[in-house]
Amino acid sequence: MIEELRKIVGDKWVITGEERKLYSFDGFTAVSGEPSVVVLPGNEEEAVEVLRYLFSRKAKVVIRGSGTSLSGATVPLQGEVVVAMTRLNKVYSVEGYEIEVGPGIANAMVTKSAPKDLFYAPDPSSYVVSSIGGNVSHDSGGMRVVKYGPTFNSVLSLKVILTNGEVEEFTPSPFFNPTSIFVGSEGTLGAILRARLKLVPKPKARKTIVGVFQTVGDASRAVVGIFKAGVVPSALEMMDKTSVSIVERSRYKAGLPLAHVLLIELDEDLEESIARVVKVIRDNDGEFFEPEDDAPYWNARKGAFPAMGVVSRAYLTLDCNVPRAKLPLILSKVEEMSRNKGVTIANVFHAGDGNLHPLIPFDPDDKASLRKAIEVGSEITELAISLGGVPSGEHGIGLEKVKFLERYYNATDLEVMERIRKAFDPHGLLNPCKSFLKEKCQPKDEVFRWLWEWD
Amino acid sequence: MGVGLELDKLELDKCVHCGFCLEVCPTYVITRSEVHSPRGRILAVRLGVKSEGLETCVFCRRCEAACPSGVEYGKAISSYRRADATKKLAHRILENPGLLYASLKVYSRSSSPIALRIKEFVKSYQPPLQYKDENAELLLFPGCLNSVVYRSTVEKATNYLRRFYKVEVYNGCCGLPHYAEGEKERALKIAEKLREAFKGKVVVSLSSNCTAHMREMGLDVFDFAEFVVKKNLPLPQREITVTVHDPCHASLVGLNKYTREMLKRMGAKIVEMEDPSFECGAGGTYFIFNPELSRRIAEEKGRKVKATGVENIISTNQACSLALSLHGKVFHVADLL
Repeated sequence: MIEELRKIVGDKWVITGEERKLYSFDGFTAVSGEPSVVVLPGNEEEAVEVLRYLFSRKAKVVIRGSGTSLSGATVPLQGEVVVAMTRLNKVYSVEGYEIEVGPGIANAMVTKSAPKDLFYAPDPSSYVVSSIGGNVSHDSGGMRVVKYGPTFNSVLSLKVILTNGEVEEFTPSPFFNPTSIFVGSEGTLGAILRARLKLVPKPKARKTIVGVFQTVGDASRAVVGIFKAGVVPSALEMMDKTSVSIVERSRYKAGLPLAHVLLIELDEDLEESIARVVKVIRDNDGEFFEPEDDAPYWNARKGAFPAMGVVSRAYLTLDCNVPRAKLPLILSKVEEMSRNKGVTIANVFHAGDGNLHPLIPFDPDDKASLRKAIEVGSEITELAISLGGVPSGEHGIGLEKVKFLERYYNATDLEVMERIRKAFDPHGLLNPCKSFLKEKCQPKDEVFRWLWEWD
Repeated sequence: MGVGLELDKLELDKCVHCGFCLEVCPTYVITRSEVHSPRGRILAVRLGVKSEGLETCVFCRRCEAACPSGVEYGKAISSYRRADATKKLAHRILENPGLLYASLKVYSRSSSPIALRIKEFVKSYQPPLQYKDENAELLLFPGCLNSVVYRSTVEKATNYLRRFYKVEVYNGCCGLPHYAEGEKERALKIAEKLREAFKGKVVVSLSSNCTAHMREMGLDVFDFAEFVVKKNLPLPQREITVTVHDPCHASLVGLNKYTREMLKRMGAKIVEMEDPSFECGAGGTYFIFNPELSRRIAEEKGRKVKATGVENIISTNQACSLALSLHGKVFHVADLL
């Protein structure tokens, strides 16, 4: 098999020795796998040939982009072949408000490749590196979801290869739109070869207001208040005091006050919107400032997850969503859990769309601390579901959140999803053990048991 | 494992595997392979995996500026790189600019692959300038390549500084190639030697990455443009349009703002290129030992330079100047005096 792969992509793009371990995990570091071999096709033709060959041999495959998944979606758990699509990073066309790109292109490069007056709206915090293929596969969000929607709203059509070896170019369809089911499918239905994406006009001006609060309750009530006041911000992020204190110790420090902070970006009706937002901040006992150069503040927000590295070598990043109105309640509960269980929890998240990201540090050399982090994480996610939320806002199910599917969906939902997955991948070749539904994989050790099973 | 290595391993353990370093790394950008990325190199060390990637690092350290966890990549990874005999020989030659001059003469008659690669970049060379005012108070540190390959720059800078100070030219090596390419111990010794030589003198360096490295070694050194700006030295006016390359290490310690300030004071018009600190392709002796990767990095840099439509490139670091000469006319700020 390895010889065949080498013939297609060239010797140096097939990694077989010890170096293949460099593809054994992604941004989710609590577990690790091991690929049998890693292949890096150099273009679309090679990718098609590689995947056709692997599918014909019934080889199990993990499709990988930049390897930034926070749910472990690209960890090879069963010695799969990892096909890294990073070299497929071409811009094929830019026409009007549309851009067509390869799956390996980094999110940030899409806006860079677009006409000056347009931009690509979805902007996950990892946008400088995370790839469009991964973004589409996880329906990634970001700061601007609150106004422009997640990746789903920006994908016009896709070109994919299916496990029967067929290459399909979807066209916009008024009925049973085939593109939509691939958005968020986490590499379980096929491999994305190209994405045609929607660009939107850049606003004439943007304005950032930094709201500063003494309690999480005040900050989260202000979030709700902003929408009640009729303002839809283009981004609305919260960084609690713990996360501010951590990021201010990192290279991404911005000089944020040590408090619970809202970063509010407005991009239309500026004068009126600013006045309304300021009133809401004051009504909730907050203070505010309007930085002339807002870039350091947004960079601080975008670097806030990995800035955890300043205080801890490893951490879990939760991703549950709640209805915005439930933010004050769930944040106060999270504060309580942190206190009662003696676990640090830093909250830095997309407050505008209720997408929480509690960060829970753990010591990778101490299994007990990982177990505790997973337990607290479970509790928070279950609480979010019970408040009408969803287990994952944008990071995906991956290998991390599989047990929550049975809490969120009913048996019929799961049955239907199982049938869809089987229809696309009858032999279970794509990303096995991830986002799985009925037949769970056997946990290979206690960490997987903690992740996959309820007590 | 020595104490030093253990500390370096602990430093690399700070990596949380986020990948923010990938797209700023020149070898990742051109290969798009984890093997040739900072994250991959760190993991290789952590797992004890023998990886080609450790040797393909250009050591530009742009990953450090992108790293939210603050991993001191350069300092730690340098302990895990090993120089082979050829690299060691190259380092010995760089330590002594007189020897460098003699070696280039020998290479000019050779057609070995290394000699041919050097000749692609080094078109002419001269013996280093020996200059010393009596009771010199200011040491001008050209940097090894400048001494021999850009002697006219050294002369211009010397003549300019002589108007205000008693000057001595100090021809030598800062030790950065050693530090970056697997001879860290020797680099530390070179730094100690320089500390002695610099005692009681004002030191001005003509190579920004050498300046940055010496500063990080705890030496008190000004970069040329920094000195001119901070001392408010008078400057001539020049009608010239330039694009500015930011040498990578100089960028990390914040020296490049002085280069721009000096150019502004001279009335030069600056057209910024995309990502000015993106690696030039030279990387110390990298261009000699990794010709293919170096070539592809240089092509990428060339695209960024070309997009400015400007022919004149400012580079205040000698090795960068060699690599950038593929894309236009290269000047040191001192050349404009």
